[in-house]
Amino acid sequence: MKTAYCFDLDGTITRDEILPVLAREIGLFEEIGALTEATIKGLIPFRKSFLLRCRLLAEIPVSRVQEIIHEQVRLYDDVVAFIQEHRKDCFVITGNIGAWVDPLLRKLDCRVFTSEAEVENDRLKSVTTVLDKGQAIQSIRSEYDRLVAIGDGMGDVPMFEHAHLRVAFGATHEPIQTLVQLSDYVVFHEASLCRLLKTL
Amino acid sequence: MSTVKNVVICAAGLGSRLELNMPKCLVEIGGRRLIEYQLDLLRDFENIHIVVGFMEEEVMKCVKRIRKDVVFVRNPDYRTTSNSHSLNLGARGFSEGYLTLDGDILIEEDEFKRFMAKANPRETLIGITESKTEDAVYVDFDPATGVIRDFRRSPKTAYEWTGIAVIAGIEIRPEVGYVFKNLERYLPLKAARVHCFEIDTPEDLNLALQHFKPAGGG
Repeated sequence: MKTAYCFDLDGTITRDEILPVLAREIGLFEEIGALTEATIKGLIPFRKSFLLRCRLLAEIPVSRVQEIIHEQVRLYDDVVAFIQEHRKDCFVITGNIGAWVDPLLRKLDCRVFTSEAEVENDRLKSVTTVLDKGQAIQSIRSEYDRLVAIGDGMGDVPMFEHAHLRVAFGATHEPIQTLVQLSDYVVFHEASLCRLLKTL
Repeated sequence: MSTVKNVVICAAGLGSRLELNMPKCLVEIGGRRLIEYQLDLLRDFENIHIVVGFMEEEVMKCVKRIRKDVVFVRNPDYRTTSNSHSLNLGARGFSEGYLTLDGDILIEEDEFKRFMAKANPRETLIGITESKTEDAVYVDFDPATGVIRDFRRSPKTAYEWTGIAVIAGIEIRPEVGYVFKNLERYLPLKAARVHCFEIDTPEDLNLALQHFKPAGGG
């Protein structure tokens, strides 16, 4: 059976939520952290919150954003290793901006879906597409017999709705209840996540 | 240590016969919950799947405090499905034999070690105990050959099925109902005695409270 593994990025592959880490650079860690948390819990719609956070973070040069992500965002090493070992069948499906997370995604070396933005003179000018995770996962459906989705927040619900097997991953945050209710598995540790994915 | 690496604990059920507003795995005996005793026994096992349903949040919260790397398998249909359904979900993907136990079982540590010493991941081994619970599934056990030849509700025999087994090469079909009904198709099966308490009713709980000896005599 040909299986695709579709990972959320923030809090699933990375130990840290990326936007709050970036916000530290401009002294808005607490503010963006609170917005991010409320978004993960589904208290604020993802699209609105994301556009607002991008606007606040747009003053940081894109090259500096990439540097911060490289230097400060910690990864789940076991998850990264799993993706690298199964790179042909792994996908990162993230609402994050491609131009920001590109170097990190290149390291993972798998296929990716991201939100897109217009960049001018090393600055984010505007967000042109906010990724619809449901559409993204549907677009690979015909290539596979089975889609496995792994995520933690409200933004992953559309991806879970179209997957065959769903894993709520609560290593960074407690996974939200809506997602848990849609899940087949709930795991809280990266080693058990990878062990599970290898047995599925 | 046992060569069996994978474990499925079936802890999704309502446990209505116990008349307590909690899943049976969260019932306290001697100040500890049943699931705490089980996770303690299973501390050296690499891969533990716990099938959750009724009050799943509470079960996950309790387990996480003890052991973080458990895989929780959700059975949202726990009200209308049997243990076979839970076990089928919990063991999905396992390529070799696994230990299974129900979440309402209390086992003394030495007994468990003796049972696991006889087990391996390539051969099914059924756990049986002296008949003592209400509503038991009795087994026709032949001590000479160490195999069971039959499972039955009556007449009573000296031993009953415990809900503990190492299962290898046996397909657990969810539609079959009880786990022992799945095992029946493969009889005769090797069995070993394991002294334990199954907590189904208030009487079972009283019996366990009177006789269970936790490790270290505490």
